Amino acid sequence: MKQHLTRRELLAGAGIGAGALLVGPAKSLATVAKPGRVAVARCKTYGPELVPAMEKMFDQIGGLSGLVKGKTVAVKINLIGVRWQRLGNAPMEETFWTHPRAIGAAVHLMGKAGAKRIRVVEGPWSTPETLEEVMLSMNWKPRDILTAADNVEFENTNYLGRGKKYSRFMVPAGAMIYPGYDLNHSYEDCDVFVSFAKLKEHAATGITLSMKNVYGTTPITIYGEGAGKDEPSIRPHGGRGGTFHFARRLPSKSAPQQIDMSLPKDAGYRLPRIIAELNSARPVHLAIIDGVMSATGAETNYGSRPQAAVKPGVLIAGTNAVATDAVAMAVMGFNPMNDRGQAPFAASDNMLHLGENLGVGLRDLKQNDIAGVPISEVVFDYTAVRDKILAERKKA
Amino acid sequence: MALNAESVPMRWPAGPLDIACGEKAKGFTAQTAEVLRNWQDPASLAIVQGTPVNCLVVSWAAGLPADAAQPEALKPLIEKGRQAGLDFVGLIEGKADRVAAVAAAKAAGLAAVAMDGDAPAGASLPVIPWNKGSQVRSASSPVLGISDGIWPGLPQAASQAGGPTNLPWVDSNGAPVLIARALAPDKTVWVGFDPPPPQPPPQPPQQQPPRPQQQAGNSAEAYVLAVADPASYGAKWVISLDDQLRADLTAKKQPAADVWKKLVETLAFFGLHNQARTYQPDGPLAVLSNFAGPDYDSGEEAINLFPRIRQPFRVIARSRAAAASFAGLQAVYYVDQEAPDAALRQKLIAFAQGGGTVFVPSKWPNPEGAPLTAEPYLVFNLRKLGNGRLAVCKDAQPDPSDLVDDIQNIVSHRNDILRLYNAPSMNFLYETSAQGRQGVIHLLNFSRRPGSDGPLFYVKEPHKSARLVSPEIASPTDLAFTPQEAGGAELFLPKLSVYGAIELEK
Repeated sequence: MKQHLTRRELLAGAGIGAGALLVGPAKSLATVAKPGRVAVARCKTYGPELVPAMEKMFDQIGGLSGLVKGKTVAVKINLIGVRWQRLGNAPMEETFWTHPRAIGAAVHLMGKAGAKRIRVVEGPWSTPETLEEVMLSMNWKPRDILTAADNVEFENTNYLGRGKKYSRFMVPAGAMIYPGYDLNHSYEDCDVFVSFAKLKEHAATGITLSMKNVYGTTPITIYGEGAGKDEPSIRPHGGRGGTFHFARRLPSKSAPQQIDMSLPKDAGYRLPRIIAELNSARPVHLAIIDGVMSATGAETNYGSRPQAAVKPGVLIAGTNAVATDAVAMAVMGFNPMNDRGQAPFAASDNMLHLGENLGVGLRDLKQNDIAGVPISEVVFDYTAVRDKILAERKKA
Repeated sequence: MALNAESVPMRWPAGPLDIACGEKAKGFTAQTAEVLRNWQDPASLAIVQGTPVNCLVVSWAAGLPADAAQPEALKPLIEKGRQAGLDFVGLIEGKADRVAAVAAAKAAGLAAVAMDGDAPAGASLPVIPWNKGSQVRSASSPVLGISDGIWPGLPQAASQAGGPTNLPWVDSNGAPVLIARALAPDKTVWVGFDPPPPQPPPQPPQQQPPRPQQQAGNSAEAYVLAVADPASYGAKWVISLDDQLRADLTAKKQPAADVWKKLVETLAFFGLHNQARTYQPDGPLAVLSNFAGPDYDSGEEAINLFPRIRQPFRVIARSRAAAASFAGLQAVYYVDQEAPDAALRQKLIAFAQGGGTVFVPSKWPNPEGAPLTAEPYLVFNLRKLGNGRLAVCKDAQPDPSDLVDDIQNIVSHRNDILRLYNAPSMNFLYETSAQGRQGVIHLLNFSRRPGSDGPLFYVKEPHKSARLVSPEIASPTDLAFTPQEAGGAELFLPKLSVYGAIELEK
């Protein structure tokens, strides 16, 4: 019988003492993480109830004006995956993508609260197209978002965009995978960074909420399958999986490199750490999660996975991404204190735990200030939906 | 009976010449030779009796010693076939004595011959030009052949590495067919391609019950796609069966009969639904080229790629561009390295000045208009021209994928007339009638199996009706338009294995 684990096995965790080993080479800043304020609102539709529900929620976490008045705000939305692949007939905004009316509502409220400039940002899958073009291709009305407040603009952050150079964000607590990340200028230009995510599960990381949404800030000119070897490519190509999920390739040499090439090449190990690092390097000031309509089972359509379009009818917002995601997990019927091997982290480490160790926020619900509708009243059990689909498949 | 648009051709390998050619090929077996001898027997014609197949393409001369024996060997087959109303076309290849072969074909009662290159002067029979797609040319024959068609489907070596988000490459005959139709709109286009060698069916793991008897060669769905791919683009596949299927049909094996039945049903379906003969491809973008020499590859690649990015388009032959209507177009992609003549250039510039966008190669001399600021990643430099734009390619040989992406991006999704969702392995072709009141969307599934969700179409313009027709459904099905908040409507389709078409009426 093997008596000792190798360093690689220790790092991989593999469910054995994972909690103690989660941080790896980075120093733990768990003690410096501050409690977050999170609000939960019931919102059944994207109709007239949306703006009041969102406004009340923002008030419950301290109000928007203190956060955005006179400031430049970057709102990172979620437009994941190939846009031509829906879940059944449901439009992307009703399953995987942040809903345009929810984006418009948030932008409107930020404008009302005095934001000087609002830039809606995202790096949609493998394209240099403007966000306006991506939205038009989904039959959205981007004009509704652009006119929801003064000085609203879009930027595709898959590449250099309107910037002259990439902005470097270092991980303050030290690296687990990468010591820092080079991002589009929009993430440095902003005074306030908002992650506007969808209430979803994720095939590799268990969940994808406001923390995971920050993963999409990484430019594919540097981290994509078609990135330049030495310098960022001019044109974005491909997804990020080769670099981030599986370490099949390196980022452009101009960017900070992986600290140790012997680290596990397992997405369940790598992604939670990369996500935690990104959230530490480029902290989220306001996390919003659109759970009015969503999808269970995964972040995008996987075809054979047990997935369903659902209507949890809930919105969540908070001043801290870890805390907000912890509340969102509870709303989804998951325990945010769980680690690898426990739902929803079947094959991955808990990004919230890793984020906590980097000082991003606290995942223990008791340590955060939670307002609005009690979680118990809006729980929408994602596991139950999956179990039902599986049972129906078995019967069929 | 003369060859015409109703002719349904089938390759009929038989006789000493095919045996001689086969013996030169790898994997040729005694069983295959026996089948070739059997198909020389007039009794073998029972296979096509009562089917839409009415024209058999036989090997006639290939510059081999066996050439001499072939006409005599096929004589009974040809006589019996002609009595049954079948036409015969003789395929003349290689270093055959073409004049002698044509004369022998005339004497044997063939309806036509097919050969590459130029027809012998004064040929006494119609000569079907049988050339590669890149050398396609019109002739006096009512039929135009493309000899290097491709077995349609997903390439064997297709990578699955992209996970759930990749659109795979597909092998289709769409581009060469559309080019041939643009170059010779009054001709019927035939495409020749053979099935790949049959792969042995996967064996079920031990302990599992044996699977029902299956056809050992290519699947029925593969043959359905082989018919549907050229047919939906307006051409006819010169049906060609794999060795195993021919052997099994000869031996009257049931799985082979089932595959043949499905192929025949598909032929009958396209015989009934043959709008492509009169409808023309439509879309907000036109690809304009002479489709010859070095420009063929650029034009063909663009026409291959636009369906993958779901961009409807028209194809205009440069020789016909002066008379072509640009009405309804948002953009024209002028492919050729050679600048157009003064009249065509003026027509393109006027189109741009009126609000369109003209995409031109880097060699475009003295570009008109004033430079516009554009995203640095674009493969085009943009210039303002009246109410429109001239987009001049930065490089002589841009990446074809970037090029079509940028054309679509610059034209803008605002101008999309159709969008297809939930169909990563599908291509579609949109065609309209001359007056534009009727349209058809051909939908081809190159994976040959239904996806996890049914395909879904966004249709921008209002229509009175939409009807799904497919060899996979018992009868045409009316489709309901689901209106969209931002305009347009969506059509939800059932899952399709290989082919379906939406017939639209305004």
